[in-house]
Amino acid sequence: MDTFAPDLQEKIQSELTRYETPRSAILPVLHLIQDYYEWIQPDHVAWLERDFGLSRVHVQEVATFYSMYRLEPCKPFRILFCDNLVCAMMGAEKVMDKIRDHIGSFPEGKCPFSLQGVPCLGVCDGAPAMLVNKDRHLKVNRDNVDAILASYKV
Amino acid sequence: MEFPKILTRFENIPNSRALATYEKHGGYEAARKVLGQKPEEVIALVKDSGLRGRGGAGFPTGLKWSFVPKSADTVYLLCNNDEGEPGTFKDRYILELSPHMLIEGMIIAAHAIGAKKAYIYTRCEFYDEIRWMNEAIEEAYKAGYLGANLLGTKLHIDLDHYIGAGAYICGEETGLISSLEGKKGQPKLKPPFPAVSGYLGKPTIVNNTETLAAVPWIITHGAAAYKAMGTEKSPGTKLFCVSGPVKKPGVFERPLGYPLKKLIFEDAGGMIDGKQLKAVIPGGASAPVLLPAEIETLTLDYEAIAAAGSMLGSGAVMVIPHDQPMMELLRILVNFFHHESCGQCTPCREGTGWLANIVQGVEEKTALPEDIEKLYQIALHMEGRTICALSDAAAMPTKAITKKFADELKQTIYANSRLGG
Repeated sequence: MDTFAPDLQEKIQSELTRYETPRSAILPVLHLIQDYYEWIQPDHVAWLERDFGLSRVHVQEVATFYSMYRLEPCKPFRILFCDNLVCAMMGAEKVMDKIRDHIGSFPEGKCPFSLQGVPCLGVCDGAPAMLVNKDRHLKVNRDNVDAILASYKV
Repeated sequence: MEFPKILTRFENIPNSRALATYEKHGGYEAARKVLGQKPEEVIALVKDSGLRGRGGAGFPTGLKWSFVPKSADTVYLLCNNDEGEPGTFKDRYILELSPHMLIEGMIIAAHAIGAKKAYIYTRCEFYDEIRWMNEAIEEAYKAGYLGANLLGTKLHIDLDHYIGAGAYICGEETGLISSLEGKKGQPKLKPPFPAVSGYLGKPTIVNNTETLAAVPWIITHGAAAYKAMGTEKSPGTKLFCVSGPVKKPGVFERPLGYPLKKLIFEDAGGMIDGKQLKAVIPGGASAPVLLPAEIETLTLDYEAIAAAGSMLGSGAVMVIPHDQPMMELLRILVNFFHHESCGQCTPCREGTGWLANIVQGVEEKTALPEDIEKLYQIALHMEGRTICALSDAAAMPTKAITKKFADELKQTIYANSRLGG
């Protein structure tokens, strides 16, 4: 395939005319691509320039500036664990250790999870908090984290 | 203390996010009332109410609106819903309770400043809230509250929802504008202020979600009713987010001027597990930490907290327990600001990096007790020298922690050094 899937092309096209300038569509378009392909590949950036006229430089600078864009192949389930002030006070590091153990329990190359510490997720009343892909989990602790992760199967 | 709930009045109301529920409780009546009025009248009323920006800076909202040049042909209204200040979760709560309250506030604000196009900019991690907001916008369009000839008038206001991609700096109003323009979220030098030259160089007003959501109530009940709550200089109510090891963490709507200790020890139920209070961060990660003795009689308003050497900020009250090592909080803070520095200005880019490196030295056993003074000195030179306030936001809490907890931090360094450990 040397361009985006047809249904995605349609969505990209409508984003390009949705805002005052096509450039404003870069963030939303990158979200669309990421939702579709899991990560943003170098070819995607090239296709956006060739097929949709979005400058490769402009797209690349956005893709690399914002931390929620994935520019490398990723696991099926991405755990983003808040390790900022409140979650840290409420024991985030210990829960993350437990998650590291969980990840380590899979045979080499078979673990469907990745773990990343992230800044405040804006749910400090439910600290410690984490996202697994787009699902929010609150009051995650050493006792419930294994069951939460077990609910994610490839 | 009796006061009407403004922003949280949909608490405990079933199906509170639905348009029908909002309308049943008087929703969109304020917009209806305002659209027949002249924009200047609306601005005058909001000015008179004393409403101040709830994103952190506390700038008078009506005054901000009045800065839009009268001759402007294209004006934009942007809602800053990029809630990212650590410890803050109030705007999320507004979207959870009543996204229509925000939409109505935006219709009123757009009319007041002459904007035909408005955007809500939301952080992308709020997946559920984004969906709820989108549903509410769709409902509002279908019901004729948005779009052409809204509410049977000749007015045309469009509202769109724009989603960020994980950058704290986009919560800074000019960083948000850069992001909406499809660029890196780098703040822009002021002046010109956004009200004169903002999104795509056009006059733009950026208001926080909580600010805009308070507007319909003010229109309906009048400036005097709003001013009757809070203090003279900080009128009205505010959402306070209490978090940390307390029994009932959560969002509390209280009049400004409310006692901080009452909020923590009564409303939020006090500390869990017999923990003792060590310190409080009263207004988000960038607010300097306060000691128990400093909050004894402290009230939650812009002036009182400033006088105590900290800031009300976003209203994020983070409670720190006695067994919390301050070095760990300092490490989290400086790493956070280092990671989130956009890199434009040297004092911020390099300064936050130096702070982070020095604190990293504690773990690597290379730090020396005198590094605490060095952290303070670096922070001192990071203030007031950059395009936006992120550098100051990193410097202020660093100064406070290194000053107020110098002995503890030095002991940590000693215990962790080759000498002590």
